[in-house]
Amino acid sequence: MSTTASSTPPFLNRELSWLAFNARVLEEAANKANRLLERAKFASIVASNLDEFFMVRVAELKHAQAEGERRPGPCGMTPAEQLTAVSERAHELMHELYASVTGDILPALRAHGIDFKTIDRVTEHQRAALETFFHDDLLPVLTPLAIDEERPFPMLASLTVNLAFWLAPAAGQSEKRLAVVQVPPRLSRLIRLNGREGYEFVLLEDVVRLCAEALFPGQVILESSAFRLARDSEVDPDDDGRSFVEALEAELRRRRRSSVVRLEVEDSVSDGLLALLMRHVHVESDDVYRVPSPVDLRCLMSLVDLAGFPALLDPHRLSTTVLTSDEMDDIFTVLDQRDVLLHHPYESFDPVVRFVELAAADPDVLAIKQTLYRTSGDSPIVKALTSAADSGKQVTVIVELRARFDEARNILWARRLEEMGAHVIYGVRDYKVHAKACLVVRRTSQGVRRYLHLGTGNYNDRTARVYSDMGLLTSSPKFGSEVSAFFSALTGYSDPPRFSTLASAPHTLRSRLRKLIDREVRRAREGQDAEIRAKMNSLTDVEMCLALYEASRAGVRVRLNVRGICVLRPGVPGLSENITVTSIVGRYLEHARIFVFNNGGEPEVYLSSADWMTRNLDHRVELMFPVEDATCAAKVAAALDVLLRDTVKARHLDANGVWRLGSPAHDTPVDAQAFLDELAIRSAPSADDTRFQPLTGPGAGG
Amino acid sequence: MDALFGPVAVIDIGASALRLVIANIAPGRPPEILEQASRGILIGRDTFSSGRIGPATMDAAVRAILGFRRIMDGYAAIMSRAVATSAVREAANADIFIDRVRTRTGINVEIIDGAEESRLTYLAIRERLAGHPSAGADHALLLEVGGGSLVVSRLERLQPRQSGVYPLGAIRLRQSLASWHGRHEQRVALLSRHIANVVADIGREVQVAGATEVVALGSDIRFVASQLDAGDEIAILERERFLEFSAQIIAQDEETLVERYRLPQVSAETLVPALLIYRALLLQTGATHLVVPDVSLRAGILVAMAGGSAEPALSDFHAQVIASAQALGEKYRYDVAHAEAVSRLATQLFEALTGEHALGRHDRLLLQVTALLHDIGAFVSVRAHHKHTQYVLESSEIFGLSRDDMKLVANIARYHRRGLPQATHLSYTGLSREDRVRVQKLGAILRLANALDAEHLQKILQVRLTAGEDVWALELEGTGDLTMERLVATSRADMLTQVFGRRVVVHGAGVDG
Repeated sequence: MSTTASSTPPFLNRELSWLAFNARVLEEAANKANRLLERAKFASIVASNLDEFFMVRVAELKHAQAEGERRPGPCGMTPAEQLTAVSERAHELMHELYASVTGDILPALRAHGIDFKTIDRVTEHQRAALETFFHDDLLPVLTPLAIDEERPFPMLASLTVNLAFWLAPAAGQSEKRLAVVQVPPRLSRLIRLNGREGYEFVLLEDVVRLCAEALFPGQVILESSAFRLARDSEVDPDDDGRSFVEALEAELRRRRRSSVVRLEVEDSVSDGLLALLMRHVHVESDDVYRVPSPVDLRCLMSLVDLAGFPALLDPHRLSTTVLTSDEMDDIFTVLDQRDVLLHHPYESFDPVVRFVELAAADPDVLAIKQTLYRTSGDSPIVKALTSAADSGKQVTVIVELRARFDEARNILWARRLEEMGAHVIYGVRDYKVHAKACLVVRRTSQGVRRYLHLGTGNYNDRTARVYSDMGLLTSSPKFGSEVSAFFSALTGYSDPPRFSTLASAPHTLRSRLRKLIDREVRRAREGQDAEIRAKMNSLTDVEMCLALYEASRAGVRVRLNVRGICVLRPGVPGLSENITVTSIVGRYLEHARIFVFNNGGEPEVYLSSADWMTRNLDHRVELMFPVEDATCAAKVAAALDVLLRDTVKARHLDANGVWRLGSPAHDTPVDAQAFLDELAIRSAPSADDTRFQPLTGPGAGG
Repeated sequence: MDALFGPVAVIDIGASALRLVIANIAPGRPPEILEQASRGILIGRDTFSSGRIGPATMDAAVRAILGFRRIMDGYAAIMSRAVATSAVREAANADIFIDRVRTRTGINVEIIDGAEESRLTYLAIRERLAGHPSAGADHALLLEVGGGSLVVSRLERLQPRQSGVYPLGAIRLRQSLASWHGRHEQRVALLSRHIANVVADIGREVQVAGATEVVALGSDIRFVASQLDAGDEIAILERERFLEFSAQIIAQDEETLVERYRLPQVSAETLVPALLIYRALLLQTGATHLVVPDVSLRAGILVAMAGGSAEPALSDFHAQVIASAQALGEKYRYDVAHAEAVSRLATQLFEALTGEHALGRHDRLLLQVTALLHDIGAFVSVRAHHKHTQYVLESSEIFGLSRDDMKLVANIARYHRRGLPQATHLSYTGLSREDRVRVQKLGAILRLANALDAEHLQKILQVRLTAGEDVWALELEGTGDLTMERLVATSRADMLTQVFGRRVVVHGAGVDG
């Protein structure tokens, strides 16, 4: 099928593109070349991604539909059409996911001694133990809820597992009765059975079912079925004078009560019980997903922590550090001399943690300012900031509480920081602070100097082991003044500044990117070699896509590496034939945002916290910064180049929105993540303090 | 190890915004800017419409300064200077405002006048434009549109020759139409007409036509420079491009500007009036572009605070003040030769009396300026011309001299002849005690110096003063018969005797030429 500029809408549908991304993750779960527990992990990620997708994106489409929106989006589809297409594709995905999990991963795990048992397969001895567990530990926390005319269907929390029981009619009545039991979300979902060797599990809901008579004494249970609801989770904190934290806490409560966007139920459910459930939670058949047990595959993630299966996981690699141990103790002196670029997880996140720790302990440090978003609760960075505040330094922390689904965790450590004397800003009104920046103000013999870290990923030492991100440590005075001004604007001490080196959303990032793209366009029209290479998580902003289309038409080579959603249609004659889009889903979560503009042979390299999504460019606080140090810039560009040349994990997007693995490599296959892993090991400074030497591409290092 | 240089902070409270700059300063090095911050608060909107800073605005300003204080604390700034310009200066409740800022934030705000403002700004310009092609122009125009006022100076190879401060600030203009509700185009037309009138007046005082370079300052023009990507430290805006772009801006109302350029509301409010002013003045010149250096009052204060390089700057600055005084003299057709002679003689006397008067370099400058201009009242009428000189000077601008300086200069000039200061002289009694003494001392010297050129013939070349126990011997060296000079000098030494308590004996040492 050929696609041309005139015959189709110029944009792919973002929801289907998102589902396509999740399908790529699912391919990794199904890929037998991956190790078994890694596959289980991928399957769990697919499940968890889908949960979020329904709660946010599907919910939004339903809103649009409910509000009578009939105009088609940029992809040419109305909300109703999108909902239909999404439901169809999501059903296929769920089917494939369960086919892979129940038909392949779970049997394979059993062969390795990790056995998910159904109740009919447990031994008498085990059954007795489960009954004891039920009566001692489970029964006290279970609350069966009967549902009838007087007692409405309970507000079951989103994503929790519940059991529906259909009971025989009461004496003298003709109608079967419905009761619901919430499976306690605080207890482990997988109950380990005592056995000789290996691991045997049963599902918590199966234990409840096993002893259900105790919940409904004297009644006849006709049927039981596990089910799970996904609810609309849109956070919309209203401004009624409460503090933001209070508003958020209230919002967390409200979220449990919002409308249902998906019903998952065990496929053994009878039509009658299903119809009843659908009526009670107000969903249409498109929103129902009948799946084999277990519902909610997120529990597979906990298998990764089981002891004794190193062979089923990717070998744990110690990430290398680009600084020698002497340098690690004296990072400020290093930064007085040069910039340091870090590529995680290939290179350790330790220098960043150390940077904050050194700043906290250094008596010459006057102030530390930092954005924190989705950081881990026991984060060493939070600890360092706390001790810095304790010792009288000015510590300013901009904590972003609106990171989806993480709020409860965030509020805890934010409160703690505040108690320790830090100046904590709970975000800014209307904008989520997504920029990653840490600024240290330090007195030196030459006056005050600023040392800073700017990055593409969160200050989370744990996710830094899995997320592929980049960060720059520098003492550049230009960066120092602009980042200082950036913080002063966020803390409300100054109006937003106009930057000349950095660009920030929502003020200048969009226009700066436009200018950079337009410059390539101009150069292409003047006959110069023009190229844009960019890597991001998602590309959904229509204006940015249009700019890239214009670039393509002008003859600019555009090479994109987009992990997730991409609404740009590449390779359409007359529209985008000079654009290629690839996506890498691998062991590490691709997360860095890298933009390289050829600029007539003097490439400009930028890193950013922002994707090219309308959300990031207009509704978030983001930063983009140039990597000016030549060595660092070369390192970034080289890494991007490797990612763009991947022939093993990279899928190529075609004009119809289909992602395919590339044709078999003509020469040596390039697995970018594996290559970068090796590169980092080779480049790490040895005891004799070898400096980092960037290789310009795969194979270049010999 | 080098000395530990602490960072300094400068706060500038203007008509449309409060601004902060923090910088490392060290002797012999240009200041290194660490951070700049600003809060758009329209103090000028209150002052220029009601004459007072309203309570909400005052609160907002105090809060802004508290925020600045937090920023400063993060640098442990060792020294700070906070200045306020026209919007606070002209407010009836300026003292209350300053007191509240001091109580709430611990920061002492100092009100500076237009002349001091332009002097400080000029320090920064000179540093930034040194070596730039525009620095060599014989006729350049320096324009600064602030919220409350417009400063126009004519520069000759970067030396100010004429200078004026006009009540044509962007906020002031906007406020003048505040209660007027009409279409945007009508508003622009009204503003343009008003600006055209003021520009015509400016042309009579500062030579605008014929300028080959226009140096423009102000946050509004910086915005245009950033929009046109015209460069950072010294932006160059081509004339046609500027006219075209500013026309586009002017055609948009405030809401559109906020929306399209993501401007803070306050910036959007000043942009159109400010651009109208720049346009009106640019169109009077032949300049092919606007030079927009990234300098400000704050940068000037930093240069002044840097200290180490202040010495050469000071003599340079004095030369500019003198040049500006000469330009004023020309305007009133002064007798150049007499003025120069009196200035020279007064300076000699001032130097000779250094141990006696205990006055400083700035006072010497005031004396020189007064000596140059003491007779300009004769332009009005020769009768009682010292009184005419006084009021003309009181309402004139001299580059680098503050309003207070001008009051001193006017009073000193008043006493160059006729009656000595009396309790009925209101302008004199309005001065502080310290300034009255200053007027007495400098007036006494000027009176004697003027007497030494009583005939306007510049016969005296040199005076020498020998101080004895209670007699000062004044020895005159010159050409021709000096009898007349000796007599007049003896009688006009009255004030000197009164002030310093010494009798003055004049000896002539005439040499025939």
